[in-house]
Amino acid sequence: MSLRGEMNKVLSTTYKNWTISKRNAFTLFELIFWPLVSLLSIGLLTRFLETDQETVSFLMVGAIGLTIMQVCQIDIAYVLLFDMWSKSIKNTFVSPVRGYHLVLGALLFGMVRGTIVFAILVISSKMAFGFEFLAGGTWMVALFLVGIYLVSAFIGMVVCISILLFGQKADVAAWTLSGLIMLLCGIYYPVDVLPSSLQMVARMIPLTYFLEYYRSAYGFGSHHILVGFGLALFYVGLGLIVFEMAIHRARRSGILLRLSE
Amino acid sequence: MAAIIARDICKGFGSRSRRTEVLRSINLEIAEGEIFGILGPNGSGKTTLLSIFSTLLRPDKGELMILGLDAKRDASRLREIINISSGASNFPWSLTVKENLRQSGMLYGLHGPRLARSIDEAMETMDLWPYRDVRFENLSSGIKQRLSLAKALINHPRLLFLDEPTTGLDPQIAIKTRSMVKKIHRDHGITVLLTTHYMPEAEELCLRIAFLRKGSIIALDTPSRLKRDLHLGERVSIRFRGSIDEEALFAVPGMISASIEEGRAELMLERSEEGTSRLMRLFSHTEVLDIKMEEPDLEDVFLELAR
Repeated sequence: MSLRGEMNKVLSTTYKNWTISKRNAFTLFELIFWPLVSLLSIGLLTRFLETDQETVSFLMVGAIGLTIMQVCQIDIAYVLLFDMWSKSIKNTFVSPVRGYHLVLGALLFGMVRGTIVFAILVISSKMAFGFEFLAGGTWMVALFLVGIYLVSAFIGMVVCISILLFGQKADVAAWTLSGLIMLLCGIYYPVDVLPSSLQMVARMIPLTYFLEYYRSAYGFGSHHILVGFGLALFYVGLGLIVFEMAIHRARRSGILLRLSE
Repeated sequence: MAAIIARDICKGFGSRSRRTEVLRSINLEIAEGEIFGILGPNGSGKTTLLSIFSTLLRPDKGELMILGLDAKRDASRLREIINISSGASNFPWSLTVKENLRQSGMLYGLHGPRLARSIDEAMETMDLWPYRDVRFENLSSGIKQRLSLAKALINHPRLLFLDEPTTGLDPQIAIKTRSMVKKIHRDHGITVLLTTHYMPEAEELCLRIAFLRKGSIIALDTPSRLKRDLHLGERVSIRFRGSIDEEALFAVPGMISASIEEGRAELMLERSEEGTSRLMRLFSHTEVLDIKMEEPDLEDVFLELAR
């Protein structure tokens, strides 16, 4: 198979997600409405509590990071969710695509959507609450986004793996996982306020490090961005291997057929 | 070269304590270029077998060579040269016919002019041009079935699996679908393996047929040899007025089965001079209104095998 052929296997998912999304009015809610509602709620809360500008920035980083991650991870999960909902999962797995083709293709689309959401949110937060998103420079923003996308890829893969292991019931994982992450990674508070056992769990999730990295530009302590990237790459690699194993298992268990009926 | 060589294929589902064996030691060899049919009642394992051949399912046991490739070791390479179309097939609802074909082609790594040509050819073969911009959710069942067949042609497969291709279609569309399957086989030289429980379909399309029952192949041959070897005799329908000695009817030499209801006798009879003359004598006491003699069809074979 040529490189172009491999690329098109990857892009098949990008194409499907794009074509479905452009026809779905709910996409506008995913990209604009919910992200803005979330950002404005947090921003208005800071007004009510009369917090200083640093605290506003702290919370804005959390709100923006969480929203981008939610948008991007659902795009990865859509790889199987769209197929599962339309009962057409057989068509995907009878073809010669591998797990990494599907994940990469969806990640590409998720990154585009995530970047659009990021742009909307930083512009809105600057206009409404004076948040200077470029305080740490362009590179910091780029690394923060790359980190978030890697975390999203992993979470999206966990959803896909759950679908292949547990079938229809698992689609609830698509929405609950990011909720758990929100609790543990210090989206709206520093992880130091968590009980020590939960702090240990938080330190195993790369998003914690990416948030600390971005927040360090606003005077909130030090960061360990390399640990974050190390963990993120490890989880993505692990996710790809387990995803492939889950596909293999699904071919044994017959769940691919059950999801197509 | 054989398109499929299956040796001792077994498959079961469920946990160890509640396991259901769906396929039991399937042995099969299908030649390249053949249209081969797998027949059987619901739950006989047809779809499971087809899913194993198309690599959607892995067998628990057995060896499977498809188009010279080991279906376990070389599954990825194999998927490049096979494809499947199922009756009641589904696609993402909001994608149009053309978009669904494009996405399917991309899954096979097709790109550029080759992808465009494959989409055009598949739409041409399946008469889908008028529907190219119609969303899947707005298509009739017949057109959905044609889209499924078109999708199955997108990678120019050497082996095509059709899982109950006409189930749920009205007779007119089923006839059209069958003629399209013949066209695909004739024009593209593709080996076709189809499952059906519609006997005339198998008889019309297939060179050879395997009957599956409770996960085992109970008969495998050409339709004509299956009919001959089972000694099913001929089907004789007689419409008559009057009464007939039923005991004597059953005693006619070569009589396989007989039923009489409201002036109509339905008989299965092995042809012989003695049998025919005894039958004529029996009915000479009645007023015979109509006689029909027919070769048995696959339905009769199926009923005989399923007994």
